[in-house]
Amino acid sequence: MPRYLVERRFPHAPELSVDAVIERNAGDGVTWMHSYVCEDAPTMLCLYEAPSPEAIRRAARRSDLPVDRITQVRVLDPYSYI
Amino acid sequence: MCLSASTAGAVLATSVIARKGLLEREGELALLGELLANVKSDGCGAVVLVSGEAGVGKTALLRQFCDHQASGAQIFRGACDPLFTPEPLGPLLDIAAGLGGDFAEALGDRRELHELVGALIRTLATRRPAVLAFEDVHWADEATLDVLRVLIRKIEDVTALVVLTFRDDELEWSHPLRRTLGELAKQRSVTRVKLTPLSPDGVAELARPQGVDAGELYRTTGGNPFFVVEVLASGGDRIPATVREAVLARGSRLTSSARSLLEAVALVPPQAELWLLEALLGSRGNDLEDCLASGMLRSEPAGIVFRHELARLAVEESVAPDRALAIHRRALAALADPPNGAADLARLAHHAESARDVESVLAYAPAAAERAEAVGAHREAAAQYARAFRFADGLPPQGRADLLEHQAEACYLTDQYEEGIAALECALEIHRAEGDRLREGDVLARLSDFLWCPGQAHESERRAREAVTLLESLPHQRELAHAYSVLAFSCDRGSRGAEAAEWASRALELAERVGDEPTAVNALMVLDADQALERARRAGLDRHVATTLTILAGANLSRCRYREAARYIREGLDFCEERGFELSQLYLLAFRARFELDQGRWNEAADTAETVLTIHRTSTSPRISALCVLALLRARRGDPGWSELLDEAEQLAEPTGELGRRGPVAAAKAETAWLAGDREGVATATEELIPLARDLSEGRLLGELGSWRRLAGLEADVTTPVPGPFRLQLEGAWADAAARWAELGCHYQAAVARAETGDEIQLRLALDELQGLRASAAAAVVARRLRERGVRGLPRGPRRSTRENPAELTARELEVLALVAKGLRNTEIAERLFLSKRTVDRHVSALLRKLSVRTRAQAGAEAVRLGLAQGE
Repeated sequence: MPRYLVERRFPHAPELSVDAVIERNAGDGVTWMHSYVCEDAPTMLCLYEAPSPEAIRRAARRSDLPVDRITQVRVLDPYSYI
Repeated sequence: MCLSASTAGAVLATSVIARKGLLEREGELALLGELLANVKSDGCGAVVLVSGEAGVGKTALLRQFCDHQASGAQIFRGACDPLFTPEPLGPLLDIAAGLGGDFAEALGDRRELHELVGALIRTLATRRPAVLAFEDVHWADEATLDVLRVLIRKIEDVTALVVLTFRDDELEWSHPLRRTLGELAKQRSVTRVKLTPLSPDGVAELARPQGVDAGELYRTTGGNPFFVVEVLASGGDRIPATVREAVLARGSRLTSSARSLLEAVALVPPQAELWLLEALLGSRGNDLEDCLASGMLRSEPAGIVFRHELARLAVEESVAPDRALAIHRRALAALADPPNGAADLARLAHHAESARDVESVLAYAPAAAERAEAVGAHREAAAQYARAFRFADGLPPQGRADLLEHQAEACYLTDQYEEGIAALECALEIHRAEGDRLREGDVLARLSDFLWCPGQAHESERRAREAVTLLESLPHQRELAHAYSVLAFSCDRGSRGAEAAEWASRALELAERVGDEPTAVNALMVLDADQALERARRAGLDRHVATTLTILAGANLSRCRYREAARYIREGLDFCEERGFELSQLYLLAFRARFELDQGRWNEAADTAETVLTIHRTSTSPRISALCVLALLRARRGDPGWSELLDEAEQLAEPTGELGRRGPVAAAKAETAWLAGDREGVATATEELIPLARDLSEGRLLGELGSWRRLAGLEADVTTPVPGPFRLQLEGAWADAAARWAELGCHYQAAVARAETGDEIQLRLALDELQGLRASAAAAVVARRLRERGVRGLPRGPRRSTRENPAELTARELEVLALVAKGLRNTEIAERLFLSKRTVDRHVSALLRKLSVRTRAQAGAEAVRLGLAQGE
């Protein structure tokens, strides 16, 4: 399944019920892998596995999360080169 | 049929699970209970989809729920049969037996779909609250799926909890249930329950009392409750290599006469009625009791069934061929003369084929096909005709050709082209060998119709011309009229309007002369679709009504007449759904996706396009169209993955050489190039098709391609007539075009045109609109322009706060304000924005109020102060 990096900019610091979000994601085949929370702004970079960008948007809509940019990504890590 | 608790209990008592209740299903049972409680309290129905692999315990869950938690509710269950060609509406017959009332009557009279569902809803209202369970719907026939779709669409009126169980591991892409599930995905009242195998702990709990190595048991069974229970029930002293062996080993502990009963039950799905068993085996003492006690079989009101389908399959495959043949023969004879009710034709055809009884196959399969056709189950009908043909070697040639042509017809309605074309080719050979020129010509014409949908446009036209030439050499009859109409279609789809009209006129004239209404309607579809619709309706020609609605939807869409297009799409989808016309439905869904894209309903457009794409069919037009819609959505939003979609669309469209299929791909490519700021790309995407589109007067396509060229700063042809807003764009009247688009509800197009006016206010408005649509990529194009003009501090995302737009003016009010600030009078503004003066008056008074000012001059000054308009 393709991986996507999703940039979310929140209008203010978000209050999320993570459990509920995960459950709603499941319906669209969307799996949240992990996120990076930016220190100085209410912005999150979230890594997902999902069947399509539409599935990510659908899941986001259901959880009322903003989607500012979706990028398809591949993993590259230093251990593969040692 | 109300499931009696004692029957189920007796069977369950033999299983390991019964002593434990149901393991690891507390959550699911609680959910079902909660949903039923809601149905009771607000009288509003709900749907639960219970899915999982074979043997995961869907039926066990349902039974546990019905027996222990659905107290106070009446329970009606219908099972779908694992027959290659199931009895149409089989599960509903089960349900009608218990439910009775209007519904049983409506079903007995074989009423139409909507009446049937109406009767079901009415009857359920007298039995509230009820649980309506449909088991194994992955085996459901089409007619049943149609009923379920309509029932679920009206679920709010149904006073019942509707439970569907199905195996989700066996649904290949083209499975008819997939489409049903896709449609259900959008409904709010649908709850999904996915049953997963048992955990290692769960398996260990079951294994412990038997002293079995739990780790090994989990490894070999994967936690599948059926496998686990079967393996444990087989003795537990030794773990069989496969569950098949476990099942057979369990069967082998029965006496040989009990085992032959087991085999007989395995060979007569969906169930072995007691009278049928007696006819197959004679009176058998304790055998049935033994089999029931072994836990492999279960007694249901309808008859004896395997406790699990996997076990039935294992046993069925293990039966020696000679014994199987003997059983099928006896089953055939017995089922042909049931003690009560009418014979089940689908079951008879199944046994006739298995018994290799040629005469019976030829008697029952076509009859079963006709019955299936009568209830709109065209897929079953095609399979039954194909079955008959496999046994038709001894028939006269024309009889064989009849079967093939019937099969092809059923294939056409369900978009199974490869099978349909093969059947027609074969029929063609037969007519040629027999020297039957008339039927040869007729089949050629039909073949032409078939070849177009999968994209073989040239071949399709060649066949149509061949048919016309051949039939013109014979006395002129209805077959020739039909061939003319097919050729007319072929020309029309090739965008050669004048030639199409010529052939259609000939078809119409001859059809009227010989009194062939269907062909007359076909010809009118090319000449005057409104009239075609009226005459098709009057003559009750359902297929023609469906096709004409599709044509009208497409034609209005391409002329930017959205209101009319919406009406035809909605009407067409309802019409096709109720009658099982999958082909027209697929086209209409593709049109709906385009409609929703144009109208700025992007989330819905994505859902609809995905639905079209999940239906893997041979017709390429709808797929191409849906691929383009989804690609444009992704490109406009700045989402990844659009180029793959366009590549696939191009690969499907190119070989057909047809403008109708290549055009949308070219337009989408041009737009994505424009979004990427790639002027060369726009040129490449548009160059080839523009001359073609001009020759064939394809106005909409010319308008689209020309507009992207103009937007990319390339020259565009303005001599050929193109539909409204596109003409304005080609003439460079961007402000007028924007207003026209906005009026049509096409806000994305409006914003793109608005940005092209070059006016800073318009650019800001465009940016606002595009951000509102979440069209990040297009918004970036506009933002870049604004920055080039030295504008700073542009919002990066959609405007949420009131800071940027303190007065909370609507997009339209902002537009009006910009013109007020320029000193225009209301009549001038009305003209500019294609609005009535009254509407502008209303907008102006609203914005004066919102800005808290009294005069237009003050409003203008306020607009400048807020950065919404430029100062003088």
